Amino acid sequence: MQLSVIKKKALGFAEKQGLVIAFLLLVIFFSIASDVFLTYGNIILVLRQVSILGIIACGMTFVIIGGNFDLSVGSLTSLTTVVVISLHDKIGPIPAMIVALLVGMLSGTLAGYLIGYLKLNSMIITLGLLGVIQAVTLIYTGGKYSRLTDPDETWFGFIGRGFVLGIPFPVIILAVVIIIFAVILMKTVFGRQLLAVGGNQVASKFSGIKETRIIMLTFIASGLVTGIGGIVLGSRIMAAQNYIGEGYEFQVITGVILGGTSLTGGEGNIFKSFLGILIVGMLMNGFILLGFPYYTQWVAQWVILVVVVWIDIASKRGKVLA
Amino acid sequence: MKRILTVLIVLMLAVSGLVFATGDAEATDDGTIVIGHTANNVGIDSYQTTHDQVFRDTVAALEGVSAIQLDAGGDVALQINQVEDLIQKNVDVIVIWPVNGKAIVPAAKKAFDAGIPVLICNSLIDESGYQYVKGFAGPDTYEEGVNAAVGMIEALDGEGNVVELMGMPGYVTAIRRSEGFQDKIADDAPGIEILATEPTDWNREKATRVMENLLTKYQNIDGVYVADDNIGIGALNALKEAGRAGDIVMTSACMFGEGYDAMEEGFIYGSVYQSPAEDAKKAVEVAVKLANGEEVPFWNFFETPVVTKANMDQFERPNF
Amino acid sequence: MKKILRFFKKKPIWAILLLLVVIITILAPEFIRRRNLLNILLQSSVNGVMAVGMTYLMINGFFDLSVGTVMGFSAALAVGLQPLGIFPAVIIALLAGAGIGAVNGFLVARAKINAFVVTLGSFIGVRGLIYIYTKEDALIGERMVFSDFGSSSVLGIPTLFIIMLVIAVIAEFVLRKTPHGRNTYAVGGNYEAAENAGIRVNRTVMVNFILCSLAAAVGGVLLASRMNAATPGLGWPDQNLMIIATVVLGGTSLNGGYGSIVHTMGGVLTIGVIQNALNLLNVQSYYNMLLMGIILILVVFADSRFKQARNALRVTDS
Repeated sequence: MQLSVIKKKALGFAEKQGLVIAFLLLVIFFSIASDVFLTYGNIILVLRQVSILGIIACGMTFVIIGGNFDLSVGSLTSLTTVVVISLHDKIGPIPAMIVALLVGMLSGTLAGYLIGYLKLNSMIITLGLLGVIQAVTLIYTGGKYSRLTDPDETWFGFIGRGFVLGIPFPVIILAVVIIIFAVILMKTVFGRQLLAVGGNQVASKFSGIKETRIIMLTFIASGLVTGIGGIVLGSRIMAAQNYIGEGYEFQVITGVILGGTSLTGGEGNIFKSFLGILIVGMLMNGFILLGFPYYTQWVAQWVILVVVVWIDIASKRGKVLA
Repeated sequence: MKRILTVLIVLMLAVSGLVFATGDAEATDDGTIVIGHTANNVGIDSYQTTHDQVFRDTVAALEGVSAIQLDAGGDVALQINQVEDLIQKNVDVIVIWPVNGKAIVPAAKKAFDAGIPVLICNSLIDESGYQYVKGFAGPDTYEEGVNAAVGMIEALDGEGNVVELMGMPGYVTAIRRSEGFQDKIADDAPGIEILATEPTDWNREKATRVMENLLTKYQNIDGVYVADDNIGIGALNALKEAGRAGDIVMTSACMFGEGYDAMEEGFIYGSVYQSPAEDAKKAVEVAVKLANGEEVPFWNFFETPVVTKANMDQFERPNF
Repeated sequence: MKKILRFFKKKPIWAILLLLVVIITILAPEFIRRRNLLNILLQSSVNGVMAVGMTYLMINGFFDLSVGTVMGFSAALAVGLQPLGIFPAVIIALLAGAGIGAVNGFLVARAKINAFVVTLGSFIGVRGLIYIYTKEDALIGERMVFSDFGSSSVLGIPTLFIIMLVIAVIAEFVLRKTPHGRNTYAVGGNYEAAENAGIRVNRTVMVNFILCSLAAAVGGVLLASRMNAATPGLGWPDQNLMIIATVVLGGTSLNGGYGSIVHTMGGVLTIGVIQNALNLLNVQSYYNMLLMGIILILVVFADSRFKQARNALRVTDS
């Protein structure tokens, strides 16, 4: 009797905090294995390294709560980075940033229209967009690097490289984006509607029009934050390669899933998405500090992804196997 | 009924394909030369893009020469298909910039069997494929690594700890630049220890991240060797932030425009001048000779001189 | 004539293919040469085999993101293990693929983890296995026999294509005529109804995951035989999405329950023809990407319109 109570409690705890436990276990493992892992400098480093993925993950969380995917964020990051860098010298940093954000939102609007209004499959549509956006990027640059002529003469670099009170500026941007998205999700009508639409699309009590609009907005949000991510990335490296964001989509989606956002929609938490992204970033950093070959982290990602999601599901249904 | 119709239409398509298909023998020998070229991955960096452009321009400027220029997009399987398609086109010479030096060997053999001369450019084919190709035109990337090592040994006076940021794992240029550097250090400077060799996939942002992590791991880095200046600038970002730029010696195996500036400012000690324009011109020059049936030497290197602050005014700033 | 029109309307992929063939032949007459057509068949065979496996899984209502890296892993094993003899190397490569499929299938069918999560995990993880096994370097086969096989032909038709054809024919037969095939449609069409009807749903799902990975492994072996080599980057990053797109092009429903191998072959040939044509026409690769992306979006759009038309028909019927 008592044992089953303990088991139940343990399962309940694991359900609520499974991700946190996994996170803490990793932190403990890495800090035992490497004495620099838990230093202030390295923590700041990891936070800054994940900031771009984290920003994009906020939009992705919305999209996935709505029951869709956005595979185009990787090539959209490349495009917005290229746009902001190439326009910086021509029209000034602020207009360039605005254009980059508009490009991001435009792409999101297109995806949102096709997926929200025309009800097309998000995976294939955003896959198609991935190709189209990458091609647009290459045609726009003619395949060349874009870069600033005089990187030391502009304040633009502050966005990606600056510090405020010892905290990297990208991390501050990340924190602001996380807070805004969390407030939208938890405190606004839109957030509640989004959770309702994703949770049960067919029987959602909202009219069809509202539902399509909500799905569309999730994609615009995803495009917008991807634009922000592109700006931060451009400022960080003061240049743009045509394929710089390749593969971001998988890292971001992995992080969001680790954070417990359900892929069937209707469930999700921005803070936990961030924790998921942090796990991905920690693996990257920790494996280099430990001197493991970098590719072993991929196998670790596989195992961690399966274990975390499995624990989450198993604790919800109270059984290991269905 | 429906299924029968399906099968019928599929069959119809297949049969009409084979009936209307014309024969194979159709050598277009009207005296003009057609060069077939499959590039590695145009658009991934400015070097390859410039190479592609200069290749086009050089061919366009030549009378009686035209080119079919394909891009494998970094995909080995696609490149093999492209070589097959070029054999199909019955071009006079095939110029391959291999995505992978080993995987391209059977495709080179196919061209060889079809009697079409193959020229490998920029990045080397595996030794087992030498027998199927007429030659190589491009930079000596091993020598570039050696030269970067010479610069490093000079700057550190033969003593110190070095980390190496290499390009894309498995890619011949990355491997040979790495081997050249490591061999030279091992032979000439036992006092220099290579603490770590990390891949960056030629990606600047990844180079920054890797360098940041290495600076955290090792407190005692004296030098950084980078496989090209794109990686170098990425690493330099990390060094500047850590306040170590200029204090940690950097040498590079391939100079880009930004690296030229960084050398002027004293952040990069030594580099190697490898021009994509020279590279492409060399490839076209040798390819035309091959198409005309002339004999060419196997190795056709173009000059890749060493650049340091002392002699950099003799070189134009690279436009990529 | 009417029937043919209706056929094309229902299965637009064949109309697209026919149209493409006509246009390309006008633009580049060498397209229609026999050797070029055979080239296209050869170049399509790896994707074709992989698409067969994916079709099964998608009719079943799932998809598999890991096929690209599974293909790469199996190619690496088939080349790297050649010192054991070609036959054992190929067998081990296929078993490894099936094994990964079994892991995927178990996690989806028994642990009930979302297929996207499971196969995203193995997609990344298997890439790690490739790099660990190859130590980041390309492997090269020591037996020329292997690559001779890859470029051989029977009666003028490439052997690899014949292998694909045989696999496709068997697969179509199994899908139409055996209990497993019928179960696959039933489970994909309506999971709960299938379960209530007493179909062993878990087993069906599990088998299809294994078949999908096995097909990817076969694709890897065939690809390796074309190069007699394997590179660590094989199948990364977007081969998986390309295969899924091919199957969708062929008209298999993204929600399961509907699809056929014959039409998947239409998708495979269409992609093969487009890529070949872009090479023959000397089109810059940027536009290649653009074109593929647009075609994909258009096909999904067309597919959804047809579905709506079908549903509308059903409504007026009742």
